[in-house]
Amino acid sequence: MSQVEGSTSKPGDLDLIGIAASLPRQGDLIQKLSALATLVVLVIAFSFVNGAFLSSANAMTILLQTAVIGLLGLGMTVVIITGGIDLSVGSVLALSGVAAGLLVKAGWSVPVGFAGGVAVGTFCGFLNGLIVTKLRITPFIATLGMMLIARGVALQITGAAPVSQLGDAFGRLGNGALFRIVEKAPNGFPKVVFPGIPYPAILLLVAAVIIAYVLHKRGIGRHVYAVGSNEEAAHLSGVSVWRTKLFAYSLSGFMAGLAGLVLMSRLVTAQPSEGVMAELDAIAAAVIGGASLMGGAGTISGTMIGAFIIGILRNGLNMAGVSSFIQQIVIGCVVIGAVYVDQLRNRR
Amino acid sequence: MQNGATPLVEMRHISKHFGGLHAVRDVSISLNPGEVVGVLGHNGAGKSCLMRILSGAMAASSGEIFLRGEKIEIPTPSAARDHGIETIYQTLALADHLDAPANLFLGRELKTWLGNLDKKRMLREAESVLHRLNPNFKNLTVPVSAMSGGQRQVIAIARAIHFEAKVLIMDEPTAALGPSETEMVSSLVEKLRSEGIGIFLVCHDMHDVFRLCDRVMVMNNGRNVGDYAIDQVSKDDVLSLIIKGELPADWSDRRAA
Repeated sequence: MSQVEGSTSKPGDLDLIGIAASLPRQGDLIQKLSALATLVVLVIAFSFVNGAFLSSANAMTILLQTAVIGLLGLGMTVVIITGGIDLSVGSVLALSGVAAGLLVKAGWSVPVGFAGGVAVGTFCGFLNGLIVTKLRITPFIATLGMMLIARGVALQITGAAPVSQLGDAFGRLGNGALFRIVEKAPNGFPKVVFPGIPYPAILLLVAAVIIAYVLHKRGIGRHVYAVGSNEEAAHLSGVSVWRTKLFAYSLSGFMAGLAGLVLMSRLVTAQPSEGVMAELDAIAAAVIGGASLMGGAGTISGTMIGAFIIGILRNGLNMAGVSSFIQQIVIGCVVIGAVYVDQLRNRR
Repeated sequence: MQNGATPLVEMRHISKHFGGLHAVRDVSISLNPGEVVGVLGHNGAGKSCLMRILSGAMAASSGEIFLRGEKIEIPTPSAARDHGIETIYQTLALADHLDAPANLFLGRELKTWLGNLDKKRMLREAESVLHRLNPNFKNLTVPVSAMSGGQRQVIAIARAIHFEAKVLIMDEPTAALGPSETEMVSSLVEKLRSEGIGIFLVCHDMHDVFRLCDRVMVMNNGRNVGDYAIDQVSKDDVLSLIIKGELPADWSDRRAA
């Protein structure tokens, strides 16, 4: 316990998770409450450090930043519940975004380009699933390979150069917002009265609701938990283990594709080098939210909280003027702390 | 089989080898409706392997399986279930993170007309079947990892008998149980027998074998070394079959006497 408090004293709040973990058997509810409490403490702490943190404009920024982590984290959660891991999502994000960019650049409409990008992401996930189930290669190695392959393809087909001048329509998904109210100020410049709800945030919410529905109301969702909980038992009970895993990895690839669109659309440039180490944020979000790397446990609501913890940590530390190097240290400590909590929960 | 009726299940000339290792060698066995057949043998004798072939968890290298005289294929566990062959595994095969109804219906969940999981109906049916086996069963909706060994065993048994099984394979059903729960399993076996269900009982406990079984089949080194009605053999005879693979020398003399 003392190790956790010592190593993560930087953000000044993680002892809450530690306390929750010291109450074994109370289980997932306490774990989730502690994560939520962590989130609240973070918001309060950061708003003391910088008054602008609580502004609606910054809230929008956080929503945007969290959307990418969240989208990746949702797919990652489903994979982690099956007892697997998907290290390729950062690279698949880049490949999907680049594919969409190149399609639009080649003259296709933006919807076609986006559909193509998501299809590429889904296909990468599908391949991950086949490699894991049919070639029986452990998820860590299979997706590590895909991480290198997808990144290599993204860099190769673009010549490692960003694909730019994609037009306004390409940027709408990442930069637009619902209910945005803009008035023309007397000086002729537009004045934003209400920034609106960014499309990426809406996309994240819709995706979270759909995936939560699938996990808890559909047979395939129950099989996802069963496979992660006891693969042999699931097989003997007539669950198709390989189809369940194929679904999980394909979904993760699909979500990485969506995240790629959001990110590249926000930049209005398809960057083959985007999303490096994004898989780690996604894993961290899932694990902070209570997903167990042993499989069988994890929730969408938990992962959403986890994604916001990371998004707010990044944003708040930025606004507090903390260097990006220190940010890495802090987030590294959070990941270790969260996995430590995961182990405490499973040690009962 | 002896009286000419068609057996419920017949496994003919089943063999299973892993590379050069022969786990099951040309074993034939049959099971009649309402019959309890003990499948015995020391660890590694091939009895679990034979039962896994019947439950669809493993494919035979050669041999045929007949259900009521009709040849069937059992490539997967769900195929076995579709034929009415249910298995209670020694490991119980429960998903620890899921609750009792989820485990009971795992792989054949009840759905609403929209295709959603019908959790209410599954809970109701789980309550009814579990309470029939153990009236004190409470808290069905906690993960089964939090349940006692006896409760977990009850769930595994309920899962096998809830879906109108014709053939039941019980792999060491009492190994992890206390006396009162063992008694529950015994009376359940009697009840299922009276309903005409055929049961293969994999068991090490000679007391249970002689109390519950109508017939015993003993395996040794992958072979069927003896298939006898329970009143033809004594405990010592069975132990001799298990350990040495043959009956004691004086068996036929004693039979004649």
